Amino acid sequence: MSDDSFDVIVAGAGPAGSACAYALAREGKNVLLLERGDSAGAKNVSGGRLYTYALELLEPGMYLRAPLQRRIVREQVMLVEGRRATTLDVADPAWGEGVPQSHSVVRASLDAWFASEAEAAGAVFASGMRVDGLIEENGRIAGIRVGEDEMRADVVVAADGVNSLLAQQAGLFPDVEARAVGVGVKETIELPDSVINARFGVTGEEGVARVAIGCTEGISGGGFLYTNKGSLSLGIVFNPEQAAANGRQIQEIFQDFKEQPSIAALIDGGTSVEYGAHLVPEIGYHGIPKRLHREGMLVIGDAARFGINTGLVIRGMDLAIVSGLAAARAILQEGTPTGPAYLSQLEELALLPTMRAYAEFHGIFGISRIFREYPALANQALGFMFNVDGKVPPPMLKKLLAVVKENVTFRQLAADAWKGYRSV
Amino acid sequence: MPNILVCYKWVLDEQDIKVRPDDLSLDASRAKGKISDFDRNAIEAASLLVEAQGGNVDALAFGTQALKLSVKDVLSRGPNRLTWIGDASAEGADAFVVANVLAAAIRKAGPYDLILCGEGSSDMFFQQTPVRLAALLGLPCVTFVQKMTWADGVLTATRKLPDCTEEVRVAGPAVVSVLGEMNKPRIPSLKQVLGAAKKPSEELPLSSLGLAPGDLEPRAVRGTPKGFLMNRRNIVYKESDAAANVAQLVASLKAEGL
Repeated sequence: MSDDSFDVIVAGAGPAGSACAYALAREGKNVLLLERGDSAGAKNVSGGRLYTYALELLEPGMYLRAPLQRRIVREQVMLVEGRRATTLDVADPAWGEGVPQSHSVVRASLDAWFASEAEAAGAVFASGMRVDGLIEENGRIAGIRVGEDEMRADVVVAADGVNSLLAQQAGLFPDVEARAVGVGVKETIELPDSVINARFGVTGEEGVARVAIGCTEGISGGGFLYTNKGSLSLGIVFNPEQAAANGRQIQEIFQDFKEQPSIAALIDGGTSVEYGAHLVPEIGYHGIPKRLHREGMLVIGDAARFGINTGLVIRGMDLAIVSGLAAARAILQEGTPTGPAYLSQLEELALLPTMRAYAEFHGIFGISRIFREYPALANQALGFMFNVDGKVPPPMLKKLLAVVKENVTFRQLAADAWKGYRSV
Repeated sequence: MPNILVCYKWVLDEQDIKVRPDDLSLDASRAKGKISDFDRNAIEAASLLVEAQGGNVDALAFGTQALKLSVKDVLSRGPNRLTWIGDASAEGADAFVVANVLAAAIRKAGPYDLILCGEGSSDMFFQQTPVRLAALLGLPCVTFVQKMTWADGVLTATRKLPDCTEEVRVAGPAVVSVLGEMNKPRIPSLKQVLGAAKKPSEELPLSSLGLAPGDLEPRAVRGTPKGFLMNRRNIVYKESDAAANVAQLVASLKAEGL
């Protein structure tokens, strides 16, 4: 290895970048993994959920070494209307058996671990290094610039997150549009494990993931909650355009969510230890830029806007890892053009086919009433059925129809049903 | 061309240390390590000097095994090689022990024209290690240095004293302790970080230094430090009448006995 060149430079040590660097380094490639933060994970707060299959694809059993939090065995959907909430709780122990389906993770520790795995596999890791620009030569990307220093590589892998500056500089695609992303605010709230287990009805290292709708003042978006070891990750994601039009500060809406009685009871007595905001790719398959590569460069992870949101399942980290592996495999296929090989690996590893399967799902979120009227309807209808006040109740069907009418017209209901049907 | 040694301490970043509100004990469980602030100035001073007029810089540190985390950082700041002594006993070491260990290591690795230290460490700030080190090695010691030059084997240093500055000249070898205003430590560049990976670093076992048990027995024993939390009353006087607010404030201050 010469002093200023590598086989591959990976910009960004998130799950995508570290997975890519790891897969390349273990095959003997000279890899430089660069991270803008002071350490990997330093730019990331709080956590989320990682579907385990992605780590299994990278290396079977690797998840056993990872600093994962709790294996998710309960999935919950919460419909919020003001103070009221209706929560659906789906518990399946099978999700926690064998190789568990998913775990909650705290990115600060996960990312640090992942980068150290890449380093142990032989990659050179340097943090506190922001890639300031690309070196372009004869129409191809030939390296990167960090401050005064230039560093050359056969391939530069852009894993620099949802508003990828490198992809923009390479002229692959413009900065992300407001309609294509969600703004997430999240908080880590510390609580003793015994309290978490009691409040969420889990034992040991089992955990709960919850999504919430109806908590965004009608703005397209929702809340989420994950149980970690010794903490909860609580947050809310919204469409930034609608949030701006709504006029209220995001943190105010988040504060209301924290004070919603059913959420307040879960976080009561906890200490907020971290707070942050982040952009997430929101519109799925249709949000993937047309060009994810050019000669000498591949784009992976959030930078490539890989993400799935079905309303119930939110995926990003797993797709990031799979795309990192796809890029590594493409680079390892000597003698074939790397870009097309990358795209075919994304097919082979089921990333693009999966995203295509959910391609129209985002249409569901075009039904604006999902974020206010329908959660209200559910709470009012069920609330009525649970109400006892000693008086003669109104006829049930009549009352339920009245509840429906109060929230939506039948024409809206039909239109939304049709839109929903077409989306899924 | 001077042959310089810089000594540094790997400390917990005080920004990451939290005070537990219930018993005011310190929670360092999330604290990351860093090169002690003034030691970073010492490393920078040595590197700048050598980069300007040639010579060599080595680094030396005594600490726990956590020192391993400092290797890349210190070597990316200029020193050509690192010797470190990692031992669990460093956790409770005071300036007496640290100076004994560093002096023994320097006797093995030296001689050096200049031995640079920070004026005091970010965590304990005993301000004793450089002075003790000089005494043990029988060298002159120049403290509170804010500026220095080196020419023909002679160090010219500006010392910052309470009411004046003092310029001193001393023929090397000498021990020098520097202040934070000496320079602005570099943020290592990518090439400096990559270069650091190729520089040699050697771990010396504490037992190899031939120190007697008494040399490793701290004279100062650390108690249990407690944090301080400001206890605010959280009273806001928000009447529209400012005079009424002032009256209320005065009344409540009186009630507090202030």
